Amino acid sequence: MFEMFEYDFMQRAFVAGLFIAVLASISGNFVVLRRYSLMSETLAHSALVGVAVGLVAGYNPLWVAVGVAIASAWLIEYLRSAFSLYSDAILAIILSGSLAIAVIIVSLGGAFNNSLFSYLFGSILSVTNEDVMTIVTVGSLSLLFLLLFSKELYFIAYDEEVAKTSGIKVKFLNFLLVTVVAVIIALSIRVVGSLLIGALMVIPTVAALQYRVGFRSTMLISLFFALFSVIFGMSLSYYYSLPSGATIVLSIIVIFIISLIVNKK
Amino acid sequence: MKFKVPIFDVKNLNFIVRGQTILQDISFKIFEGEYIAIIGPNGGGKTTLIRMLLGLQQPTSGEIKIFGKKLKEFKEWYKIGYVPQRATLVDENFPATVEDIVKMGRIAKRGILAGISKEDKEMVEDAMIKMDILNLRDKMVGTLSGGQRQRVMIARALASCPKILILDEPNTGVDMVSQQRFYTLLAKLNKEENITILFITHDIGVIADDIGRLFTINQKATICNDPKKMLSCEEVSDLYGIDAHALHHHKHEH
Ligand SMILES: Nc1ncnc2c1ncn2[C@@H]1O[C@H](COP(=O)(O)OP(=O)(O)OP(=O)(O)O)[C@@H](O)[C@H]1O
Ligand SMILES: [Mg+2]
Repeated sequence: MFEMFEYDFMQRAFVAGLFIAVLASISGNFVVLRRYSLMSETLAHSALVGVAVGLVAGYNPLWVAVGVAIASAWLIEYLRSAFSLYSDAILAIILSGSLAIAVIIVSLGGAFNNSLFSYLFGSILSVTNEDVMTIVTVGSLSLLFLLLFSKELYFIAYDEEVAKTSGIKVKFLNFLLVTVVAVIIALSIRVVGSLLIGALMVIPTVAALQYRVGFRSTMLISLFFALFSVIFGMSLSYYYSLPSGATIVLSIIVIFIISLIVNKK
Repeated sequence: MKFKVPIFDVKNLNFIVRGQTILQDISFKIFEGEYIAIIGPNGGGKTTLIRMLLGLQQPTSGEIKIFGKKLKEFKEWYKIGYVPQRATLVDENFPATVEDIVKMGRIAKRGILAGISKEDKEMVEDAMIKMDILNLRDKMVGTLSGGQRQRVMIARALASCPKILILDEPNTGVDMVSQQRFYTLLAKLNKEENITILFITHDIGVIADDIGRLFTINQKATICNDPKKMLSCEEVSDLYGIDAHALHHHKHEH
């Protein structure tokens, strides 16, 4: 069972994967409670534009993806405040628009190959040392923010206006939250893939919510589910040569279904 | 009292949306220790007025001062406990125990980045005791009755040790007995803790003995300093359900 850790690439993939499990599930709590689930999906597609540019222009796709995802998050927030009536339509437009742009860039650049496939569905083989470094450093900063402001973010998720009248800087924290979510999503596409990261962010929380427990416990349960599904999914990916994003997401969906059944009223 | 800084000082407040006047030329002061009830018909502008007092909505014109400061410059938000309309209709799936909710009240007081202190814990406990919900502390709010939720929301507002409680009809789904008990609690907070109360309600008859002043809001504000007299007068009963123009018209005829 543990022979897979004899390979360097597997060690790298596990460090990256476990880190991402922590980041995605913790941020996922706020994403789900704030009804931002579709937003995470959209940002994942925007990150793909960054990947495409990176692949074609020869930059590190991860860094470009982080930049483009942040820019997209800010654009969405701006459009939401400017045209508040159509916020889900705005997400749908940016989601498909990003995918279209990414595909065109990749096609023009002639990079429509395995490399792109791995960014779509995740690949444990492709995680480089540089990726691990990026995920650990940038990810730690994101995690620090989430933990420092978790009570405020929780209050905002509960009731934005009451939080505001309690002196919480709602606008600023919202802005920081979407920025951090964009960063986490971009970091995750190596291991989980841009088409599947939304699931790793949202499903652990939704599964944990089925247990109907308080804030802290919900967060811990979602964290546990995410870690478990990443470990299990990456092992499956190794033994059966499957895309890691797909095996991780199927693992978390199984956990979700079990949670639903166990907690059925 | 005249030399004291009022908690709220509102001057010539107007709110006009798309040519429609929602609030017209409203001025009043609220002082520490007062118990004020606000009544008025549905759509009369009560919630809008409260939201403006709290900076959640911008008036078209007019001036609002809060503890002597302009809204933008005001920082001590922990002095204000706000329970919005429909606060009792919580999302059943929201992962929060009663204690989780009441703890939120301490964030305003504690300031950003600070950890939870012993004082925080005591005040949370204290607020739950005052609202008689200590036995519910580990229950999920989604599973509570309307009356219990109402008390949780007030406890959350009380946890920051506010000077004023602003309650916007937090009565949805609350039965009569719980309601009665709730009014008794409010009166007690006002008398014993000297917490100022600004309370939007339709149950004016029940709390008439407790309140010091009565505001009726229907586009314009009528302020009555002796609520018992106000109740017997035609204006209040007329105001209910009848718009301001009709009332005006009616008066002119006599
Ligand atoms: N930003 C806004 N844009 C348009 N109309 C508004 C706005 N804010 C308030 N209104 C209108 O102002 C009127 C007063 O609403 P408000 O909610 O303040 O009444 P209320 O007295 O609280 O009523 P209720 O007893 O039903 O709670 C309503 O007709 C509402 O539609
Ligand atoms: Mg109202």
